[in-house]
Amino acid sequence: MVVIRFIFDSVREMFRGPREYWMWLLALSLVVLFGAWRYSEQITEGLVVTGMSDQVSWGFYISNFAFLVGIAAAAVLLVIPAYIFDRKDVKDVVLVGEGMAVAAVTMAILFVIVDLGRPDRLWHMIPGIGRFHWPVSLLAWDVLVLSVYFLLNLAIPFYVLYSRYRGKEPNFRLYFPFVVIAMFWAISIHTVTAFLFSANPARPFWHTALLGPRFIASAFASGPALIIITLQIIRKLTSYHVSQTVIDLLALIMTTALQISLFFVGAELFTDFYNEGAHAASIHYLFFGLGGFSSLKAWIWFALALNLTALVILMIHPLRQRTVMLNIACVMTFIGIWIEKGMGLVIPGFVPTPLGEIFEYAPTSVELSVAAGIWAFGILVFTLVAKAVIAIEQGKLSCPPEEQRYTL
Amino acid sequence: MNSVFLQCVVGVICLILLPAQAQETPDSQQPLRFEGYPGVPEFEVVPRKDELFFYPCGQCHEAMEPNPEIRTLNTMHDAEIEHGRGRIWCLSCHNLENRNYLNTLLKELVDFDEAHLVCGGCHANRHEDWYFGAHGKRVANWQGERTLYNCTHCHNPHSPAIKARAPKPAPPVRAGLKLEPGIKHERSAVWDAQEEHEEQ
Amino acid sequence: MSNNTGSGNGGGKFDQARRNFLRGIGIGTAAAVAQPAWGGQTFQDTFADFFQKDYRRMSVDEIEAALERIERKAEARYDVEIDCQNTPPQPGVVYGYAINISRCKGYRDCVHACVKENNLGRDSQMQYIRVLEMDQGDFNLEHSDHYYEPETVPVEGKHYLPVQCMQCDDPPCVKACPVEATWMEPDGIVVVDYDWCIGCRYCMAACPYWARHFNWTVPEIPAEEMNTNTHYLGNRPRPRGVVEKCHFCIHRTRKGQQPACMEACPTGSRIFGNLLDPDSAIRYVLANKQVFRLKEDLGTEPKFWYFSD
Repeated sequence: MVVIRFIFDSVREMFRGPREYWMWLLALSLVVLFGAWRYSEQITEGLVVTGMSDQVSWGFYISNFAFLVGIAAAAVLLVIPAYIFDRKDVKDVVLVGEGMAVAAVTMAILFVIVDLGRPDRLWHMIPGIGRFHWPVSLLAWDVLVLSVYFLLNLAIPFYVLYSRYRGKEPNFRLYFPFVVIAMFWAISIHTVTAFLFSANPARPFWHTALLGPRFIASAFASGPALIIITLQIIRKLTSYHVSQTVIDLLALIMTTALQISLFFVGAELFTDFYNEGAHAASIHYLFFGLGGFSSLKAWIWFALALNLTALVILMIHPLRQRTVMLNIACVMTFIGIWIEKGMGLVIPGFVPTPLGEIFEYAPTSVELSVAAGIWAFGILVFTLVAKAVIAIEQGKLSCPPEEQRYTL
Repeated sequence: MNSVFLQCVVGVICLILLPAQAQETPDSQQPLRFEGYPGVPEFEVVPRKDELFFYPCGQCHEAMEPNPEIRTLNTMHDAEIEHGRGRIWCLSCHNLENRNYLNTLLKELVDFDEAHLVCGGCHANRHEDWYFGAHGKRVANWQGERTLYNCTHCHNPHSPAIKARAPKPAPPVRAGLKLEPGIKHERSAVWDAQEEHEEQ
Repeated sequence: MSNNTGSGNGGGKFDQARRNFLRGIGIGTAAAVAQPAWGGQTFQDTFADFFQKDYRRMSVDEIEAALERIERKAEARYDVEIDCQNTPPQPGVVYGYAINISRCKGYRDCVHACVKENNLGRDSQMQYIRVLEMDQGDFNLEHSDHYYEPETVPVEGKHYLPVQCMQCDDPPCVKACPVEATWMEPDGIVVVDYDWCIGCRYCMAACPYWARHFNWTVPEIPAEEMNTNTHYLGNRPRPRGVVEKCHFCIHRTRKGQQPACMEACPTGSRIFGNLLDPDSAIRYVLANKQVFRLKEDLGTEPKFWYFSD
């Protein structure tokens, strides 16, 4: 069975490398273990160990979830030029992007699971033995689109890599339909995640038609930012060829997306503040504080400053073309969007409560530790996947020629 | 002054009500009674007499000469009658001749268990709401036997306004969290303007 | 809206006798087979709990078994013998509630009667009812004070607004639930199956009335304060990690009794009854008073009205 050999070889490749590589894996694993240990605390004590309350019933976990779905969706920005416009340079790295999507979806799903009060009852969602409230519940939609996206991003690279492993070119006609589905699906995961929030008239802060477009725009800024950095790291650490044209393309996409994203933020601010109704209370809390409470104020202004500075760097061509400046802009965008679409989006939805109560939220050390563990786990997943992908793409990993004729 | 006014009001009400009710009850010898509103679901009233400390009042009053003169009592009864803010006094509701009964404005005898008929003489809107369940309290059930508390169960007839009292404790916050003190409750700008105006 | 196929009649005398008998057997087997290592539960009970179906798919027998387990668990956890019933909805009844806000003086008697009646965790500190204090002439909930504690109420220049679950006829929380753990019963009460809820708290985000509350920790109730008259969909002891809400005292109202908040109200501000009965007090209020509903513009169709006179 070539396929078993393929999996076996890939896994072996994942755990083969220099000392530094091992140290990296070890460090990540330690953070994962630390997170798991803190999570066990949450399992035994209940969600009482978090900072969440009836007033602010979602917190740091769901904030990261919302952000990471965006990162996952951004893989489409490599998929489209690679498969639709047939850009050879992008095709070389598209599997890295899809690996990132897999890692991001994994993290997103984990963030939802750690947020559950009863993770032992997850099976209640399985259609048939459980009750899956689809198509009515937006959360059911989100579970559906995320799982399918996860499978698509596993299946396509699996097929492509498996073909390469056997020394063949993948059959374009066979996987192209799935690529098209994956493209639309990428937009859908983030749209559905936005709809998850905007579907609630109970929360005026989220209840805006602009939320979907805003999510997509900010995802297409933060996603490429992460991909640009990652590709440079790969280029530096491995002999894998990453063309500068890919980075230039992503930088351009990122510039445009960040422009649109900030324009949307501006539109939101104008609509809420020109005639400030009661519905603007949440955004007022976010940007200026409310009733004497303003724990998010500094964060959101910091995020806005980061995004604006990044945009200035990106919009000035000579600056953007300098790798250092581009990297600075990428880091700024990534952090800026993480704040804006994470805590900056989720928490104000709950402040004030629908009954007008102002009650603040701050993540506890358990939440921060568990989140760190999940991020480390995601990075670990990506590292391992990328390791195998690069080896196969470089032709370092292939099955013995005598086995290549078998179909499976 | 007030009592003169009251007597006039009573007189006018008698003039309006008497002919109307007389038509319904041809036997003018029978005492005229308010029969409630059409469509009121069946009900019983929680008896009150057992809870009255001095009842039956006749025990003492039979030995006393009735005194119809409007005055402030200096006895074991409530001296201050807040009810009506001076416009009514004891015998507006208590019957002069038979102290074991109350009376309506038309001096019809009313049992203490049916005190609401006395209250309804002035507070007709409340009384109607009470009959239909929109005012007052029903005992225990929403379904089946309908027993209503009398007006006097909640309202002291001599001082009917419900008294201010301490509220039960404020809500706590989730175990492990604490309420940050010093929330500034915003309010409508109108009130700030009014306050400023009053200060000037 | 929902077909309540699972509602067996749990209220009968015979049922009770049978259940007590079965409970006897259950305890016997528990003692014989397993040590109370599973949080005071037998392995069988833990196993059966884990694979328990959702309420609306359980057969009458399965519900009976679930009720017995609930009673056994309560005994193990709180050392109280409770009676958990499954009183079905009455035909031809849809509940409605109205509050006379000109009567409400803000005493919070309803809040605390509710906590007692519904076995709300005393340490987890959850309450189904909030009474808001607002300036007269102001009805902006965002200007309201939830934590007012003056010497006496009512405070001059203030008015009071009690808020609890509105039992919406088009409940956004029900739509939100990804596992159908919450639904509207035929008598209009929106209930939660605490054994099916996964604790995602999406319903809490969806509710415009802040009516849904979460068990952040195991609700602790002193044994002597436990209300032993319970209902599967109502005030039975709840596990940690699930959402709960006001259920119009389903264990009382389905038997014709008033909800505890109404009974406790010292001012008679609260009016409860059958919306389908034209002679009910609630219908009188709707027909004769100027009523309004909170956030009616959101289209949730609350079955909870406010009026003043």
